[in-house]
Amino acid sequence: MTKTTLKGLALGLTLPVLLAGTALSQDYDYGSFPDTTLRVKLIGGAQYEPLYAEIPKWEEMTGAKVEVLSRKNHFELDREIKQDIAAGTLDWCVGSNHTSFAPQYGNIYIDLNGVVDEAVLAKFDALALENSTVNGRLVQLPRHSDVSNLYYKKSLYEDQANKDAFKAEYGYDLAPPETFDQFKDQAMFFADAPTFYGTQYVGKDEAITGRFYEMLVANGGALFDEDWNPTFNSEAGVRTVNWFKDLYDANAVPAGVLNYLWDDTGLGFASGTVALNLDWAGWAAFFNDPANSKVAGDVGIVRAPKGVGGKRAGWAGSHTFSITETCDNTDAAVSFITFLTDHDRQMIEARKGLLPTRTQVWKDVKAEFEAEGNDFQAEVVDTYSLSMSEDAFTPPLIEPWIEVSNEIWPRLQAAILGEKTPQEALDEAAAEARLIMEDAGYIN
Amino acid sequence: MNASLRKRLVAIATWIATFLLMMIICLPGLWVVLTGFRPNREVLSKPAIWIPEQFNLNNFAKIFGFGAEQVAIPVPAYFTNSLVIALTSTAIALIIGMSGGYAFARFRFPFKNSIFLGLMLSRTVPGIALSLPVFMIWSRLGLIDTKMGMIIVYTALNIPFTIWLIDGFFRQVPKEMSEAAQVDGCTRWQAFWRVEFPLAKSGIASAGIFAFLTSWNEYALASQLTRSTDSKTLPVGLMDFTAQFTIDWAGMSAMAVIIIIPALILTFLVQKHLIAGLTFGGVKG
Amino acid sequence: MARTPRSSYKTRLALTPYLLLAPAFLVLIFVIALPLVFSLYTSFTGYRLVRPDSLWNWVGLRNYERIFTDWDFWVAFGRTILFLAIALNLEFIFGLGIALLINRITWGQRTLRTIMMFPMMFSPILVGYQFKFIFNDNIGVLNNALQSLGISDAATPWLVDRNLAMFSIIFAEVWMSTSVFAILLLAGLFAMPRDPIEAAKVDGCSPLQVFRHITLPFLMPFAFIAMTIRSLDVARAYDIVDVMTGGGPAGRTELLWTLIARVGYDNSRMGQANAMAYVSIILSVAFTYYFFTKLVAARRYMGGAA
Repeated sequence: MTKTTLKGLALGLTLPVLLAGTALSQDYDYGSFPDTTLRVKLIGGAQYEPLYAEIPKWEEMTGAKVEVLSRKNHFELDREIKQDIAAGTLDWCVGSNHTSFAPQYGNIYIDLNGVVDEAVLAKFDALALENSTVNGRLVQLPRHSDVSNLYYKKSLYEDQANKDAFKAEYGYDLAPPETFDQFKDQAMFFADAPTFYGTQYVGKDEAITGRFYEMLVANGGALFDEDWNPTFNSEAGVRTVNWFKDLYDANAVPAGVLNYLWDDTGLGFASGTVALNLDWAGWAAFFNDPANSKVAGDVGIVRAPKGVGGKRAGWAGSHTFSITETCDNTDAAVSFITFLTDHDRQMIEARKGLLPTRTQVWKDVKAEFEAEGNDFQAEVVDTYSLSMSEDAFTPPLIEPWIEVSNEIWPRLQAAILGEKTPQEALDEAAAEARLIMEDAGYIN
Repeated sequence: MNASLRKRLVAIATWIATFLLMMIICLPGLWVVLTGFRPNREVLSKPAIWIPEQFNLNNFAKIFGFGAEQVAIPVPAYFTNSLVIALTSTAIALIIGMSGGYAFARFRFPFKNSIFLGLMLSRTVPGIALSLPVFMIWSRLGLIDTKMGMIIVYTALNIPFTIWLIDGFFRQVPKEMSEAAQVDGCTRWQAFWRVEFPLAKSGIASAGIFAFLTSWNEYALASQLTRSTDSKTLPVGLMDFTAQFTIDWAGMSAMAVIIIIPALILTFLVQKHLIAGLTFGGVKG
Repeated sequence: MARTPRSSYKTRLALTPYLLLAPAFLVLIFVIALPLVFSLYTSFTGYRLVRPDSLWNWVGLRNYERIFTDWDFWVAFGRTILFLAIALNLEFIFGLGIALLINRITWGQRTLRTIMMFPMMFSPILVGYQFKFIFNDNIGVLNNALQSLGISDAATPWLVDRNLAMFSIIFAEVWMSTSVFAILLLAGLFAMPRDPIEAAKVDGCSPLQVFRHITLPFLMPFAFIAMTIRSLDVARAYDIVDVMTGGGPAGRTELLWTLIARVGYDNSRMGQANAMAYVSIILSVAFTYYFFTKLVAARRYMGGAA
């Protein structure tokens, strides 16, 4: 271990001279674990698989075997891990994790500070590491991050008739929105239900809670005060809910939007029937691929809009890897997750449009896109790297986050549908959230 | 002559009408099957593309790991698991169900109706209340992620149903027939196999196909109790097409076709035995 | 000497039914009863999934008190009853219609019956996705069809509108399960003796009268078997509803099962979820008991067996 650290440190010093990345993966000593079988649980899904195709390389280097116990989507993996905690069957070493889920799991995962090479950690984006920390413990190593930015259909903004009509109606020049108010104006302007919609949002589960949360912050509000009292039933909260409600009432979003999740919004924008779409980086390549998308070649991207508080929306999270406390070979596990998040591995994911967590990878992948003449993807990298470093913030890293979210989103829906006024809905949700926080011991 | 011709025309018209009705009923399902052969872009498009521009096996190639784009789902493993689990649990449930159904149809004993009701009520427990405790017991016994674990669970799910159905069919076989056989020197066991079993065969066949389909399609418990290719079944494999932000609906539909076809073939084959067994209604009259 | 074998034969005879039932009991105790005892216990604790030691945190009736004062729970409870009642009745009526129709067919029936059972080949989870995409308001096949046919040019929000959302999940459930009724009722029709019908026709009964007074009473036990089995099994609808709407929007399609799953797994409050599950079991027991007594009565009416 000491040897590795020294080597890593030496490497860290020489790195600027070397061509970054390629050298790193070859020179880092992943150790040798000939008789080890590492039992792992990984998040599954098409965009995550290319990384797992690299696992045999690590097996070859170290002589260890990797046994993938399960490969499921995150919500199912979450259930499975909770069952493992309940039944005491944490008989595996490495698990996929997520910054939003991690606080729920208590102390089942080890603190990676002092375990993972410091020189390796230094290569990571500081904010990503900070967001991976729960109660001072680095319980996960970030693999890639998520944050949303605004995609728009370029041709709509270049059309002279649109420009004139918009200026006449709203009194300012038509350009991709800088604020949520402009976002709303333009969505309403472009909407022509049921054939064309101004925008769309995810309408249920933690997804809409997250959108509400980031806009609340952008509008100058907060979910909780310093003592964990719920404060989202504020004026900023009502303003945020009204943004969703106004778009819904004006038919600027599809009427079924309250049942939409990420696949619906992504496919909707790709179908060419939506003007603006606040969405994740992973979709960029999809949107610009003629085989999948009717808006290919017509996609523009700008940073997520600002709220009235002057702050940009930046709800972010990271996909991560964690090591269990019960792991029987921590060294092998550390070597494994270090490998999966090293420069070359992150390049593989970054080429597919996922947001890397190592600062160098941002630069290298952008250079690669530019060399290929893929200006759109280069611009996407620019936009997302800017919002990752300046705008990104996570939901409160507290154990009952999902539970609080489950109290908020049905009431947001009720307010959007007009069953309750925004104030009533938020007051109710805040009262329920307070109970949960009391139960969880955050409020005395 | 005229009357018989008219009768035939009516019969043909009835057949066509029934066939069309069946097709309409099946439409939502047929749509899934067709989707399996088309790319996502065409299926989920607006405006709709009604006449397929592309109709090919790309989705299947993807699943089995051929071609440019691969999803590489371990279908053979899932398929074997599903087949082993569904067939074994069906066989066991039928044996237990026959013995239990026979007891209810042919014997008088105290608390008979209460016991029967109790058996049925065991099925009212929602899977969600069952999943965690079963998981915890199974993990103590090392049955998590094993085919054996799933077989036991599915056997339990199917027992009330098979007992019930088989009981009903045994009731329809006149008791006198077995008694006559016993008078002729057969033991009760022989009388069962030679007289009652053949007559109740159609009941057993339909209980069997019900049990098989339940096990073949069950998702909720399998998703909790299976984890790897050691025991994951086809319906659980469907979820391999969902990720955090995306659903590959065309891929999922292709997988659905792979799930549906064996079940459909088996159902079609069993229909024959149903028809053979159905004459017993006449026997009774 | 002569007495002993006879009495042992008698004891054996008395024991036989229990012996025959023993395997069934063994499996059910192991898979259902034991886990149920465990959930019953946890329903009196503040058990949280992610805190194993909270299993010993006895809270008495607090979970139940919370439920009884929880309006959302009772709304879901009522909605579940409504869902069951509508779905089961529709499935019976459609199933009967299909069975009667197919019963008339003499040629190619095997194929038709296989087609009839087609929806039974679909896993509930698949049915959920299928109807989620069919009922999607923007790119869904149903709205596309309505618009192409010029019937409606609106993007009807099938999964969001208060009534349509319930309609949609009931539609999916009925689509999946009508076959079960149809095949059981068809089996009943085949088992039916022809003589009483012929006799009734000779006596001048109209086809409707024959159906009303002979066919239907004979079919009722089969109908109640189907009803009971479906009401036992209807919790399978959880998979469908969870995928299609997740109980939303704003709880408009929240059924007991989606509520329990969310409280138990997403919120990790297993103790409270199990208390809810127990209340919901009472509902299932009531439905099952109702159909069962009907079944027994119908059998008696038929002059049925032992």
